[in-house]
Amino acid sequence: MWPRSFQARLLALTVTALVLLQAATLVALHVTGERNLKRTLAEELRVGARVLDRILSARGRQLSDTVRVLAADFAFREAVASGDRPTITSVLTNHGSRISADAAFLISLDGSVEADTLDGRFVGRPFPLPALVKRANSEAEAAAVATLDHRPYQFVVVPVLAPQAIAWVGIGFRIDESVLDEVRRLTSLDVSLWSPNPGAPATLISTLPHERQAELVPHLGSASAAETMRLGVDLYETLVQPLATADDSRVNMLLQRSFEEAQRPLRELELQIFGVSSAALLVAIVAAIFFARSVTRPLRSLALGAVRIGQGDYSTPVEMSQDDEIGQLAAAFNGMRTEIGQREEQIRFQATHDSLTELPNRTLFLDRLATWISAARRRGSRIGMVMMDLDRFKEINDTLGHKLGDDVLVEVGRRLRQTLRESDTVARLGGDEFAVMFETLDAASAIDVARRLGAALETPLTVGGVSIEARASMGIALFPLHAEDAGTLLKRADVAMYEAKRNHAAYAMYEPGRDEHSLRRLAILSELRNAVLRDDLELHYQPTIDVATGAVVRVEALVRWRHAVHGLLLPDEFVVLAEQSGSIGMITRWVLRRALGDCADWKRLGFALPVAVNLSALDVHDPELLTFVSGLLHDSGLEAGQLVLELTESAVMKDAAYALRTLRDMKTRGITLAIDDYGTGHSSLAHLKRLPVDELKIDKSFVVHLTATAAEDNVIVRSTIELGHNMGLVVVAEGVESAEGLELLRGFGCDLAQGYFISRPLPKEALLEWLAPRLTPR
Amino acid sequence: MRWPPAVALLLATGGASAASVNVAVLDERGAPIAQAVVYAIPEGRRPAPPVRGAVLDQKNRAFVPHVLAVQTGTSVKFPNSDNVRHQVYSFSPAKRFQLPLYEGTPAAPVVFDKPGVVTLGCNIHDRMSAYVVVVDTPHFGETEKGRVSLQGLAEGRYTLRVWYAGLRGEAPSQELTLGAGDARDVQFRIDRK
Repeated sequence: MWPRSFQARLLALTVTALVLLQAATLVALHVTGERNLKRTLAEELRVGARVLDRILSARGRQLSDTVRVLAADFAFREAVASGDRPTITSVLTNHGSRISADAAFLISLDGSVEADTLDGRFVGRPFPLPALVKRANSEAEAAAVATLDHRPYQFVVVPVLAPQAIAWVGIGFRIDESVLDEVRRLTSLDVSLWSPNPGAPATLISTLPHERQAELVPHLGSASAAETMRLGVDLYETLVQPLATADDSRVNMLLQRSFEEAQRPLRELELQIFGVSSAALLVAIVAAIFFARSVTRPLRSLALGAVRIGQGDYSTPVEMSQDDEIGQLAAAFNGMRTEIGQREEQIRFQATHDSLTELPNRTLFLDRLATWISAARRRGSRIGMVMMDLDRFKEINDTLGHKLGDDVLVEVGRRLRQTLRESDTVARLGGDEFAVMFETLDAASAIDVARRLGAALETPLTVGGVSIEARASMGIALFPLHAEDAGTLLKRADVAMYEAKRNHAAYAMYEPGRDEHSLRRLAILSELRNAVLRDDLELHYQPTIDVATGAVVRVEALVRWRHAVHGLLLPDEFVVLAEQSGSIGMITRWVLRRALGDCADWKRLGFALPVAVNLSALDVHDPELLTFVSGLLHDSGLEAGQLVLELTESAVMKDAAYALRTLRDMKTRGITLAIDDYGTGHSSLAHLKRLPVDELKIDKSFVVHLTATAAEDNVIVRSTIELGHNMGLVVVAEGVESAEGLELLRGFGCDLAQGYFISRPLPKEALLEWLAPRLTPR
Repeated sequence: MRWPPAVALLLATGGASAASVNVAVLDERGAPIAQAVVYAIPEGRRPAPPVRGAVLDQKNRAFVPHVLAVQTGTSVKFPNSDNVRHQVYSFSPAKRFQLPLYEGTPAAPVVFDKPGVVTLGCNIHDRMSAYVVVVDTPHFGETEKGRVSLQGLAEGRYTLRVWYAGLRGEAPSQELTLGAGDARDVQFRIDRK
C-alpha cells in the first residue's frame, strides 16, 4: 500500500530501495565471507607453515654465523688444540653460553664426541647427528632441525680450523616459544611444535594460552594433516606438518587459527558497512525529503495557480525562480494562463456579441436591459426599447446572396449605432432583427428615437456596388409603462413590431393587451423552424371524390405540427406566422417533398392517386419554387398531372402580374392549379378569368351549412358552380358534412367534393385502410 | 735435465760413490703432484745435525714457501715482508708456538726440534696457512711437476717417505737399499683428498 503524497512515496521508494540494496550487500558479504573463510584459513595455515620454515632456516643461518665466529675464536681453538678434555668442556660451556647455546659438542675428525656440555654423556660415542658432520665436511658448515632428548633443536656444525680442520664443533639451540611467537606475530597463527616420544607425553612448545595447550595435548597423537579442532569453546582450523630434520627424528608443527579470531575482521567490516549504510540511508532520507520538497512546493504553487485560473483570475502569475523542467512548466503555465485569459475574453466577447456586426447579442442585450431596468427602478427613470426587423431582408438574401445580405446587416448595425448616444445599446438579436435600448423621458421621445432610427436607414445602402433600399419595421415598448422586466419588455417590443409590420407602418408603440394573444404565436414562431428541421411536422390526407360517381379522385395534403407542448397544431395556428416570419417557403417545400414522396409510395403500391398541396401567397412569389417542384417530380418519378397546387384568391390578387407569370409557368409544366377558399376574397371575376387555373374550390363556409332550406347559401353555391363551369373550370366543394349537402351538390352539378361526411383528413396509414375497399389498384 | 744447485754441488765435490734416487709422485690418475715432500731416512745411522737455518717469509699475506721441509733441529726465521702485522701460530703437537703480532724479523728464530708436520696459521689472516715438514734426515726434497731427485746418498738402507698436504690415508713409504753410485727410480702413487 503506497502512501498518497509524492513526498512520502519518494521517501518510501528511496528507503525501500536502499534498505534492500544494503541488506543484499550485507547478506552477500556475509555469505561470501563465511564461504571463503575456511579456504582462506587453510591458505593462511599453509603460508604459516612456510613462514615457520623460513624463520627456522633464517635462524639456522644466523646461528651458523654465530657458531662460526665462535669456532674461529683463538682462545677457543687454543683450548680445543690443548687436547685436555676438562679444558675443552669448560671452553664449550663458556663460549656456548656466550651465544646462548643449549648444547655444545666437540667432535673429532673421525666423528666421535670429544667433549660435550651435557655432563659428558656423549663422550667417546659417535656424534648423534653424523649427517650434519658429513654436510659440514662438504659445505664448511651445516644447520638443521634435530631432536635431542625428544626436544626439537636447531643444530649447527662447523669445523675448528687451525687453520686446517682439527675438529668439529656442534652447537644446539632449543626451538622455544620465542621462535614460535615470531611466527605468530607475522601470521597471527598459533604454532605448536612437538616431537613424538613413544611411551611418554610429548613436550609441547606452543604459542597457545596455557589452558588451550592442556586441551591440545590429548589431540596430538591423532592430529591429522588438516582438520577443524575444538579446544575449549573455540574452534580452530588446524594444519599439522612434519618439519624437515637432519636425522630420522620427527618434529611436528601444528598451526592453528581460531575461527572466531579470523571472523573478527569480517564482523568488523560488516559492522562498518552497516554503519556506512545507515549513514547513507539517513543522507538519502534527508535528500529525498529535500528533493521531494523541491518538486512538491512548485507543484503546489502551480496547483494554486490552476485554482486561481479556475476561479477566473488570469492576472496573477505563478512565481517560480527555478530553471529546470518545473520552471519550464511554470513558464508554460503562465503562458497558458495569459492565453486562456485572452481566449476567455474573446469567447466572452463572442458569447455576448454578434460576430458579424460585433454588436451585443441577445444575451448581452437582455443582461444589460435587466441591469438598466433595476437601475431605472431605483432611480425612477424610464427606458425605451425598440425592436427592429428589416423588411424584405429575405429577398435581399435570396436575390443578392448571403454575402451582400451580411454586408447589409453590418451597414445597418453601423448606422443604428451612429444614430444613438454612446450610452445607448444597439444589439443584433439574430437574423435581421435588431434591438435598441435607451433612456427616455416618455413615449413621445421614444417614438422620436424610432423615427431617427428609421431615418438613418432611409439613405439607400451601398453594398458591394449595389444600392439597396432598406426599410425596417419597429416596435416600441417602454419600462415601466409596458413591462416590469427585461424579458417581457422585449416580447412587448416584438409584439409592437409585428403590429407595425401588419400595418405596413415604420413603427408601432406597444398597446397593452396585445401580447396575450401573441405570446403563443411568438413561441410557436421560434419553434417552427426547428420543427421543420426535426420533422415534427406530419401530413394528413383528405380524400376528394367525384360527386357523380363517388370515386376517389385524389387527396389533399394537410400539414399538421405535432408540438411537444401544445399537441397537434392545425395550419391555421402556424401558417400565418410562418408567412409572417418568412419561413413558409420552408414549410411548403417540406410538405411538397413529403406529399410527393407519399404519392410515389402509393404509385408503387398501385394507386395512381394525385395529391393536392396548398400554396401560400408568398410561395407564389418564390421564384425558386417551380424549379424545386420540378426537381421533386423528377426525383419521385411522378407525372406533373399527379400534383394539384391550391392557391387562395388573395395570393393571386397580390402582385397579380408576378403571380400570373408563376402560374403560367406551372401550368405549362403540366401541374393542375386550383383556386382555394373561393368566395372569401374580393377577386373580380374578370381577374379570375385571366388566371391559368383549372379548378375552383368553393370555400367551406358556404358548403358546411348547405341544406335544402338554406336558400341564400344554396344560391351562392349553385351560382358559383355555374359560373365556374361557364369559365371552363372544374368546381370542388369543400366542407361537405352531410348526405343532404352532397345530394344538393350533385343536383347543382358540382364536380368534386370533400369534407367530413366523406372523410376527415387521415394520416397516411389510416388513409390506405380507408382507400382499400374503395379503390382497386390499377 | 736441469739439476738443482745443491745436487750440482754434490756432483762436483762428492765423487762417483754417492747414490741418487729419482722419485716421481703421481696421483691415482697418474697426474704429477707438486709440493709433495719426499725424504729418505737412513737406517741405523744418526744423521748429522743441520748446519743451516731456513726462512719462512710472509709476503702479500701468504707464507712463502707454502711447504717448507727442514731437518729436525733447524731454526726457521719468520720475517714479515708485509706492511701489516702477522701473528703466526701453530697448534701442531710437533711444534706449538706463537709469534705475537710483529713487524720485521723477530730476534729469535723458531727451532723445530721434533719431527712431524707443523701446520702454521696467522691468527688475524685466517686464509694464510703453511706447512713445515720436519724430518729426521738431511735427504729430502720437494716435488716440482711431480718429480724430485735425492742426490748424494751414502750406501746403505733407507726408508723413502712421501708427505703431501692433500694426502688421503697413510703416507706411503718404501724400503731401499742403495749401493755406491746407484741411481734408482722410484714412483709413488698417492690418493688425494
